[in-house]
Amino acid sequence: MLRLWRYVKPHWALLCLALLLIPVTVAFELAQPYLLSLAIDVYIAHQITSGLGDLALLFVSFVLMQAVCAYAQIYALQLVGQRSMHSLRMATYRHVLTRRLAFFDRVPVGRLLTRMTNDIESINEMFASGVITLIADVIRLIAIVSMMFYLNVTLTLITFITLPILVVLVAYSRKLMRTSYRLIRVKLAAINSHVQEHLSGIKVVQLFCRERATAASYEAINAEYREAYTGSIRADASMYAIVEAIGVCSAAAIAWHSGASIGEGAITVGLVVAFIEYVNKFFIPIKDFSAKYAVMQSAMAAAERIVGLLDTEEDDAPVLESASDRQGEDDASYAIDFNEVTFAYRIGEQVLNGLNLTVEPGQKIAVVGSTGSGKSTLIKLLARLYECDSGRITLGGRDIRSIPAADLRKRITVVNQDVFLFAGSIRDNVRLGHQGASDAEVDQALAQIGADKVIEDLADGADAQVADRGENLSAGERQLIAFARSLVRNPEILILDEATAHVDPKTESIIEAGLDTLMEGRTTLVIAHRLSTIRNADKIIVLAHGIVEEEGGYDDLLARGGVFAKLEQSFSRDH
Amino acid sequence: MRAPARIGGYLGARVRLVSFEGSLERCTAEELAANGPWHLLRPYRSRVLAACIMLLCTAGLTLSLPKVLGNTIEALIGPDPEGQVPPLAMWMIGIAIVGAGTRIASRVLLFNAARMAEYDLRSIVFRHLLGLDSGYYRENTTGDVMSRLTNDVQTVRALWGPGLLNIVNTSFLVTVALVLMLQVDPVLTAWALLPYPSMVILGLGFGKRIYKSSRQVQAHLGALSSSIQEDLTGISIIKSYNLEENRAENFAKSSTALLHHNMALTKVRGQLVPTLGAVAALGTVVMLFVGGRRVIEGHITLGQLIEFNAYLAALVWPTLAMGWMISLLQRGRASWERLAVVLETKPQIADGESPALAPESTRGDVEIRNLSLSLGEREILSDISLRLAPGTTTAIVGRTGSGKSTLISALPRLNGVSDGQIFLDGHDINTLPLESLRSLIGFAPQEAFLFSTSIGENIRFGVDRRPLPPNTEAGYQGAIEEAARYAGLSRELIALPDGLDTVVGERGITLSGGQRQRVALARALATQPKVLVLDDSLSSVDAETEREILTHLGELMKDRTSIILSHRLAAVRSADQIAVLEGGKLVELGKHEELLAKAGVYAEIYDTQLREGVLVE
Repeated sequence: MLRLWRYVKPHWALLCLALLLIPVTVAFELAQPYLLSLAIDVYIAHQITSGLGDLALLFVSFVLMQAVCAYAQIYALQLVGQRSMHSLRMATYRHVLTRRLAFFDRVPVGRLLTRMTNDIESINEMFASGVITLIADVIRLIAIVSMMFYLNVTLTLITFITLPILVVLVAYSRKLMRTSYRLIRVKLAAINSHVQEHLSGIKVVQLFCRERATAASYEAINAEYREAYTGSIRADASMYAIVEAIGVCSAAAIAWHSGASIGEGAITVGLVVAFIEYVNKFFIPIKDFSAKYAVMQSAMAAAERIVGLLDTEEDDAPVLESASDRQGEDDASYAIDFNEVTFAYRIGEQVLNGLNLTVEPGQKIAVVGSTGSGKSTLIKLLARLYECDSGRITLGGRDIRSIPAADLRKRITVVNQDVFLFAGSIRDNVRLGHQGASDAEVDQALAQIGADKVIEDLADGADAQVADRGENLSAGERQLIAFARSLVRNPEILILDEATAHVDPKTESIIEAGLDTLMEGRTTLVIAHRLSTIRNADKIIVLAHGIVEEEGGYDDLLARGGVFAKLEQSFSRDH
Repeated sequence: MRAPARIGGYLGARVRLVSFEGSLERCTAEELAANGPWHLLRPYRSRVLAACIMLLCTAGLTLSLPKVLGNTIEALIGPDPEGQVPPLAMWMIGIAIVGAGTRIASRVLLFNAARMAEYDLRSIVFRHLLGLDSGYYRENTTGDVMSRLTNDVQTVRALWGPGLLNIVNTSFLVTVALVLMLQVDPVLTAWALLPYPSMVILGLGFGKRIYKSSRQVQAHLGALSSSIQEDLTGISIIKSYNLEENRAENFAKSSTALLHHNMALTKVRGQLVPTLGAVAALGTVVMLFVGGRRVIEGHITLGQLIEFNAYLAALVWPTLAMGWMISLLQRGRASWERLAVVLETKPQIADGESPALAPESTRGDVEIRNLSLSLGEREILSDISLRLAPGTTTAIVGRTGSGKSTLISALPRLNGVSDGQIFLDGHDINTLPLESLRSLIGFAPQEAFLFSTSIGENIRFGVDRRPLPPNTEAGYQGAIEEAARYAGLSRELIALPDGLDTVVGERGITLSGGQRQRVALARALATQPKVLVLDDSLSSVDAETEREILTHLGELMKDRTSIILSHRLAAVRSADQIAVLEGGKLVELGKHEELLAKAGVYAEIYDTQLREGVLVE
């Protein structure tokens, strides 16, 4: 809980205002029964009509003041709550965004989504209708009791003869409710994950005719969920009803005592009426204690989950001071060197097995190899999206772990096979490569790549909106946009995972030309799927089982008669 | 002592649901949707009726208190307070105790009934969802369906519980309190109720504003969610391009917009309670001012004024609750409509009328005749004819988007086809009961979806529906182990400490992609299907293992029909026939060598793959 306080702290002034407004509101509210007693004792009982109007007017003004203060208090409080939740949401979001990629492999998107929406929402609810309302209730209760003591000590003591019963009742039902709500929470989670799982796998359920079995298992969990409420319903109803009854009994006690001592003069009819009003007001917040308790309970659970998320370490690519050996620090040539690199996504499933690879500045390297040979892993390690298990990668002689991730990723740009486009226009998506790029620069990049020829067919050209992550664009169009995005970024090193998707011949030739433009003057590492790329490379790397099996120029490798030569032979049969 | 009662209650509920379903046989999901939410309370009407009677008793007792109170005040001013007050106080205590009893009974009865109806509703909706076809799930995200099944069902339940309680309470309390107030003093009643019509108007106005405002909040919450979802899905591009700050700013905008709309809603809500409270308090002022004069003028006694004040106080809460109730009813109605839409959705793919095929005598002879299929407006497949004879293996190949997956999804009717296009052993598949058709087809999808139980349970998933000989636990176990072996899982199962009992975690997250696919394959094999369909289901398995598995499968599927869709042509080279799809049309059909000689689409794709594949083989 204290962990979350720091998001509220910046808004302390507003919070103080909200808290200060509580006693003011309570004062205006509690003055009303007192005025009522005055009206009865001073005016009505003595049959005086003059002045009754003034008193009524005063009453009205108190009523209005109470309403205004209550509104101001709710507003200020909600403002604090909403602003704090905004800060918490931003903090959570930033925290999540800076986790390493392995974290996202493990944690489903849906779960993170729930943390940042529902869970934060329920903490807000606790803040607004839980904690602060509880504080307000306590202030109100204290004020009521003080007011009663001020009016008449004996009568007050008589009134609260019932208090021990109340204390026992609250303690008992709190225990009952805690058990019940814990059970409800467990069952609710079970029911939700059951639905989530079986709806996600609905195809399998239907293919294997498991509809009936799935419905039956759902009904079992559903029934457990329903039964989990039995306790809370009972506790809730008892609490509400018994508190109500205790209120009436207190009123009876007041009447009883007053009947015996009204002749002594300390007790008047007005006082009795006011006391009964106060007793009613006293029991109102206690009656809906259980509702507040439920809100608090679910919020506590939400808070625990969010703190848990904020506590996850796994920072993305932290700068490792120990790795900076200062060797070749000023080498601005950006040669890439993989030295005995090993890596596994999962323990026991080795992807890279001591990979050694050198790329000289300005070279164009084509990497070939079958699925699972470690080609894409190579890229991910170089951009430090994942960390090598052992060995090291250097850039211009510096261990990449000693380079701040932002610097590293500014120099190395990766163009993936499946292009991810964000909601926004095509121009917006190109600009993501370089935030400061002007419209002219963006358009120029599109033109250089040759994308202008493709997107001019679209209704709005470069302003066309990308819908559903680019579903409204063809694979070729998406590729070209990604090229333009990399071009405005102007990186020293380009890493390209060539798309395997087959596109129509016209787009194909535009893409090839675009690629040439993009690669010009840059150190390039291409996971090659096109023969032209392979032929034009300075060096070809053949990967297999996580190591470099062959490397060399196109002609060298052919002459060597190894696996590459075998490929080329079968390949050239038709070409 | 409690446990048996709970079990009893549970069993009771079961029976009730069954009996309810009995009445549902005459009442389809669609009719239920038309009948409205209150229809679901019918099975529990005796409880609800008892609850309502208890509610009326409670309200009656509550309204008898002001009279006693008024008399007490009279007695206090009267000549013998000491003698007259105690019996009256005793009356109050008695009323309080009886009232507590009836209040508890009414709430427990009503809220439990509401929970039971909620259970029924949730079960019925879920059951209905299980029968809806893939078209529905393409158009509706899991998140949306989930939110109907959780949030909307709960909102509808609020109609039955707190909703019904307040409707009964309010109408009874208001009516009776009004009558009693009129009895005390009609003139005073008229004055005191003066502010109340404005309360009703205010309540309605606020209801509308709250509804509008909360719609806005919901829309912005949705926008925020999709913004989060987008960023988390594209996380690797965000990292590669250092877009963290840019995306955070973008997110801050959505979050701030949500904040503003939340505050707008708070404004309306914040005004509601103080405003209604103030109006209610004005009634007290009128009572004080006018009533005080009427006591002084001798129209009524002081005791009657106090009694009147108590009636007025009894009215305040129901009136205050009115605004809340209006929004509760509105939200309940909106949620019910969202559920009704689900219940009204008819599955596009339904059971056929013909009798089920006997598994023993089915040969697995599949014939596709002039199959054309459109999803939405796009034509995916056009005029495909293909014969898959028993005992043969057919490979389906083609580029991304050529319609391969759509074609094989049509066999178990995951996608609906027109009559007379696909036949199994000469029967139009549309005429067969779905369960009969699907139980004859073993389908291993590319996206190997596993449930979060053990590997063994996952493989067993489809076995129960078809009692295999020998129909014993040992028999099942044997079938599962055999399926695991054929799916190439033996080595892994030995390595895992719990073997088949290893729990796979959420969606099989603890297994690698290749392992998941092989478990899914074993699941398909364990049903001993007549037609085995592999939808690129070994794409994450390395080429060597894939070939090994396919070779062994050849023995297993000797007398049955296999359809293999694979991206790796090398793996399907030996198929009896290879069907090549291009743009939804069957462009080539034949054996590997024949197709290579043709130098068409197949040869081209084959060459492309050689470049990547042969290098390491």
